[in-house]
Amino acid sequence: MVRAILLILAVVFLAAAPFFGDAVMIQYGIDALLFATLAQAWNILGGFTGYASFGNSAFYGLGTYGTAIAMAQLHLPFWVGLSLGAFLAVLCAVVIGLPILRLRGHYFAIATLGLSATLAAIISNLDISGRNIGLILPLTRNDVGFYEEALALLVASTLTVMWIAKSRFGMGLIAIREDEDAAQVMGINTTFYKVVALMLSAFFTAIAGGIHAYWITFIDPASAFDLSLNVRMVIMAMFGGPGTVLGPVVGSFILSAVYDALARSISTAAALLFGMVIVLAVIFMPRGLWDLGHGLRQVGWRYFLQNIRLHRL
Amino acid sequence: MSAGAQPMLEARGLTRRFHGLYAVNDVSFTLQPGEILGLIGPNGAGKTTLINLISGTLFADQGELIFEDRRIERLHPYQRAHIGIGRTFQVMKPFPRLSVLENVTVGALFGFGGGERNRDKAREQARALLEFTGLDRRMDQNADQLGGPDRKRLELAKALAMRPKLLLLDEVMAGLNHVEVDEVVTIIKKIRDSGVTILVIEHVMRAIRSLSDRIIVLHHGEKIAEGLPDTVLADARVVEAYLGKRRA
Ligand SMILES: Nc1ncnc2c1ncn2[C@@H]1O[C@H](COP(=O)(O)OP(=O)(O)O)[C@@H](O)[C@H]1O
Ligand SMILES: [Mg+2]
Repeated sequence: MVRAILLILAVVFLAAAPFFGDAVMIQYGIDALLFATLAQAWNILGGFTGYASFGNSAFYGLGTYGTAIAMAQLHLPFWVGLSLGAFLAVLCAVVIGLPILRLRGHYFAIATLGLSATLAAIISNLDISGRNIGLILPLTRNDVGFYEEALALLVASTLTVMWIAKSRFGMGLIAIREDEDAAQVMGINTTFYKVVALMLSAFFTAIAGGIHAYWITFIDPASAFDLSLNVRMVIMAMFGGPGTVLGPVVGSFILSAVYDALARSISTAAALLFGMVIVLAVIFMPRGLWDLGHGLRQVGWRYFLQNIRLHRL
Repeated sequence: MSAGAQPMLEARGLTRRFHGLYAVNDVSFTLQPGEILGLIGPNGAGKTTLINLISGTLFADQGELIFEDRRIERLHPYQRAHIGIGRTFQVMKPFPRLSVLENVTVGALFGFGGGERNRDKAREQARALLEFTGLDRRMDQNADQLGGPDRKRLELAKALAMRPKLLLLDEVMAGLNHVEVDEVVTIIKKIRDSGVTILVIEHVMRAIRSLSDRIIVLHHGEKIAEGLPDTVLADARVVEAYLGKRRA
């Protein structure tokens, strides 16, 4: 109950923030909200079932291009574009998910690695998507609007994860992560559960791509299907706490802030320092911020020693 | 065996090879409703593989499996769970970072008939089973913090929570002391009395003798004996399979 009130207050605060901030702050805000959504979407499959997807940047690209094609080429409204992008991404999730989600663990991750590059190659050769030059969307100068849309999407994805964490469906996903053989013989249709999780993940990822496309107005295959974006989703979700409701959101807010602060003060070394933050985080809190909070309350500073001992080679 | 009675499970010519080695070779048997069938044999005889074939964890290369009156050898493991087949794993498979209660709740949420849809009701069923298996004091601990005997009990509780009609038990008494073995024997008898048919793999002879209505013996993947416990355990080939192994 207290938690619910605090969460509602946090959302109200975030929603009101752009009316007090300057233009640059709002732009940082849009980026941070979209990144948090991407981390949360990745969390649905990656955090709950333990299947690390590197195909989410492909869903992002499909959302981007679905929106861009609808608006720039077919002159349809934004929401039709978002729907088209989401439809393409969810369809892609089913088509690739059914065969490759039968692969276990690492094999799945490897099988998804090529998806972005493949789709980028296809898109680069289609007239309707502007080949390798890209597309320009109609210009709208309404950053507060984009900010509120991004916030609404983050809230929607987080409410979905909240439902998953409490539902029978989510229990099935967690059982798959903990032991897939046991999950199967206990009556869980594991392939079906994983595919549905991937579809949900693809849906939110694609909408985030669509909002981003309309906001920056210019897209091309290389930036829309960018595998390094997928790597950032993984890092943010893992940093915050995979398989938790708020971990990926808080984690990505913190990392976005750290990255922006570093980039502003010492632009050349920012990437290096950011990398070091990640390395230290993996060593000292391999299960993310959420587990860190738990551990500190239970065993104090010994938590770090335990992790080092547990995970050294 | 009463003539005309519909078996709970019938296996016909089940065969499974691994790289040319026959782990289970042309094995046939029936299991009557309400029966406890003991499955024994030296290490590597193919007992676990046979259970894997029945639960669907592995597919058979050849042979038929009839559960109640339907063929099941092509069904997926989750489909076999839904029609009432539950099992434990010899190499135990707890959900390590879930609490004991949550572990068992998963069985109730899925399992027979697709399981209980309501998570609170499922948790209540799980709680009752933890009491039944003597795990209620460990309820809130994570499964990876349990000791060996409690892990065995957890395997049993998880399978029971699925409300199976046929329960396949793979060495649930291994590593238990005398007192604990007697407790589990009592529990298994109670499960049978509640109407569950049971196939039990066990090395503890005292337990298998007191539990089983009939026993089948596997050796090098083949069924070498079948019958009443006293008869089978006195059979020269069975004695040789065990002792020959030990002397070698
Ligand atoms: N997944 C597997 N892959 C390869 N060989 C296996 C596999 N499972 C079992 N075997 C082999 O099959 C034979 C029977 O094993 P198993 O069924 O575990 O015997 P038991 O349970 O009677 O000790 C053994 O030789 C074992 O090495
Ligand atoms: Mg075995």
